[in-house]
Amino acid sequence: MIDYSFLVRTFFTTLKAVPVSLEITFVSLLLALLPALLIAFIRLKKIPVVHRLAAVYVSLLRGTPIVLQILVLYSLLPSLLHSYFIGTGRNVNIFDLNPIIYALAIFGLNTTATLSEVFRSALMSVNRGQYEAGISIGLSPLQVYVRIIFPQALRAALPNLCNLSVAIFKNTSLAFMMTVKDITAVAKIEAAFGYNYIEAYTAIFFVYIIVCLAIQKLFKISEDKLSFRDMKKAGA
Amino acid sequence: MEYRIFYIQYIPVALAKLLPYLWVTLGITVATAFFALGLSVLIVKGQLCKYKFISKMAQAYVVALRCTPPIVLLFIVFFGLPQVLLSFGININFWPKAIFVVTALTLLYAASLSEIFRGALDTLGKGQYEAAISIGLTDFQAYTRIVIPQLFRIALPNLGNSYISLLKEGSLAYTIGLIDLMGQGNLIIARNYGGYTIETYIALAIIYWALTILTEQVFKFLEKIAAVKQVKKGVVQ
Repeated sequence: MIDYSFLVRTFFTTLKAVPVSLEITFVSLLLALLPALLIAFIRLKKIPVVHRLAAVYVSLLRGTPIVLQILVLYSLLPSLLHSYFIGTGRNVNIFDLNPIIYALAIFGLNTTATLSEVFRSALMSVNRGQYEAGISIGLSPLQVYVRIIFPQALRAALPNLCNLSVAIFKNTSLAFMMTVKDITAVAKIEAAFGYNYIEAYTAIFFVYIIVCLAIQKLFKISEDKLSFRDMKKAGA
Repeated sequence: MEYRIFYIQYIPVALAKLLPYLWVTLGITVATAFFALGLSVLIVKGQLCKYKFISKMAQAYVVALRCTPPIVLLFIVFFGLPQVLLSFGININFWPKAIFVVTALTLLYAASLSEIFRGALDTLGKGQYEAAISIGLTDFQAYTRIVIPQLFRIALPNLGNSYISLLKEGSLAYTIGLIDLMGQGNLIIARNYGGYTIETYIALAIIYWALTILTEQVFKFLEKIAAVKQVKKGVVQ
């Protein structure tokens, strides 16, 4: 009934696709870093008009299923890029582009929205007194943010960042819709040869669990490191 | 070269065609929430069980399912469940797709619900239960009258968020052929031979966005009611 040797074989084949999924996860996090920080600031400082737009962006991207965002952007982006290439007179065949570009664009946009919420709540968790204390001892506002606020906000954000990374990683399982050869895509291809779908999906079930646990472990270690540094600073 | 123009007029048309299927999406998520509630109670009970083996198993279940992408579990259930049941002599290959979707989503959602309830239980602490027992309530009364009402109040914001993610994860059901909002949207596009793709997807996005905002508001309202009740009872000044 269940072909165990196929299951084990597929497990190792799909392991080779882990870097692709991880790449999408962490590159989209990196891409989202600055825009998300900007959105968090705009919304915290309530900059007129723009903060409403930012709120709508965040609400829209968080309020619709990611699969729908993929479907929309994957049917829009290629033709937009195509007309852009034609408009700028460059002779680039749109079908030669690596589909991972679309995945990064979509996951980047989506991550920007979720990451901005993580940053916003982290920045709000830092007491206002910290900022005032920094200013009062003669630091410039930029210095206060870089040296006082951000390090504390980062610590507050770490658990949420961990959850977010795991969520993005889980969402990369939809990258196969854009013909990216991620874990799920490889499993699908392997399964299609002999209709061994159960085995293939069971194999990647374990792959996803292992990688997610590894991501969580990594964040746990950095959390411990950060709190250890704080303890040393406090002289405890 | 001529480019396809965006027909904004088609969005209301698509909305009208999509809205009858709102009930499918809502039905699936409500059924899932119902079953997952039961399963999550079992999981939490398992986690708190004094037998190490059971509590470890419940723990492992939650960890594993929290790490599983919805689409992977959906496929496992869709391809695996018929085979498993076939070995017991039950053929479910022609059963409605909704059963597979609800099964897969229930397995996933129960894991997140149990996490929420665990967190709420930790917040509540043992004192409430012990106080209830000490004034002479039975075990059952202590739970139904003291512990569970407070649990729901504490868990309410997280329950709202998790229901919203359930709504969004449910949209994947179209990949195994369920005709819910997403399924109907893709059917509309297919019937138009790929025309009005963007317009249909935008209509879908409007519906999902509205659903999310509505759910948020409903849970905010429920939180307010719960808070007022607490004040009236004199629990919170």
